[in-house]
Amino acid sequence: MIAVSYALNKVLTAVAREHTMKDRLTDEDLAGHAVTDAERAALKDGDIDALYELGANPYLIRRVFRSRFRI
Amino acid sequence: MAQVVAAALTSHAPLVTGKPEVTRPDMRDRLYAGFAELRRRLDAARPDLIVMFVNDHLQNFPYSNMPAFCVGLADSYDAPSAGGAKLMRLTPRTLAGHPAWGAALLEAGLERGAVDFAYSYEMDPWDELAVPLSFLMPEATVPIVPIYTNCAAPPLPTMRRCHAMGGFVGDFIRSRASSERVALIATGGISHWVGTPQTGRINPDWDHWVLDHIARADLEPLLALSHAEIERDGGNGGQEIRNWMGVLGAVPGWKGDALAYEPVAEWITGCATVWVHA
Repeated sequence: MIAVSYALNKVLTAVAREHTMKDRLTDEDLAGHAVTDAERAALKDGDIDALYELGANPYLIRRVFRSRFRI
Repeated sequence: MAQVVAAALTSHAPLVTGKPEVTRPDMRDRLYAGFAELRRRLDAARPDLIVMFVNDHLQNFPYSNMPAFCVGLADSYDAPSAGGAKLMRLTPRTLAGHPAWGAALLEAGLERGAVDFAYSYEMDPWDELAVPLSFLMPEATVPIVPIYTNCAAPPLPTMRRCHAMGGFVGDFIRSRASSERVALIATGGISHWVGTPQTGRINPDWDHWVLDHIARADLEPLLALSHAEIERDGGNGGQEIRNWMGVLGAVPGWKGDALAYEPVAEWITGCATVWVHA
């Protein structure tokens, strides 16, 4: 089974639907979302590799944190 | 009797139209020529309807509701929408749907116990429809029915199941008393890594292996691929060849000729156009 974090993907889906790309998420973005401490840190750091390892969907990572990718 | 009059497989990527200037011109021109030749053959087949085998990229289906297969019942599709058009550098346009046809497919799948499609009356298409159809149907003359397969949010339907789903669609078409002429187009793949730590990787060797098997209609090695094997060799974007299996399942024995294949690094995708024929 693929690792999936529903909480991470729920946050990223909400942000992606605003059609704005982010370098990092803020406490405001995360308000009301039940993410773990590690998930919260990765979202606030814009750590795309950590998000992938924690079970965020890569298409959502790409959409929200486009500026973090080299290509 | 209704019949399948054309079948094609292509890649989709927003940058194919969104950033044409960043690629090597010779690669881009060969790929565009492949699309142009596909369009010529599609036009010559005079379809009344195009069934699009495509996938969502989490813009429609969230993790609270994730269908394996979903048939579109919308009256029309914004492909691209105004927002998408900007990124894909296309003119926003609305394509006609064919909800009655989609509903007939949906009901037949349920009643025959063949495929339990989910269905949607409103979809937000992205590059999976807009980019290939900007080449293949620039005048928006033929209505479409999209079939969305989950290729992006694992666990995914198996390659073999996607092929069987397409088999049902082919049987459904051939069982219809109408004289409609149906084209089938799958978009997605071949290898690409999107949003993963390997983003930007392309695997031309694997792409050629996929194309060679399709050229010989030797599908068994493709149908046997596991999710993990595709992820390893074709990336998460490579999972989209499930859409290709759908079309190939609908036309048993047909072979696919690659009109173009280019591993375009700047578009982070192994890009192909394939004409499928008896």
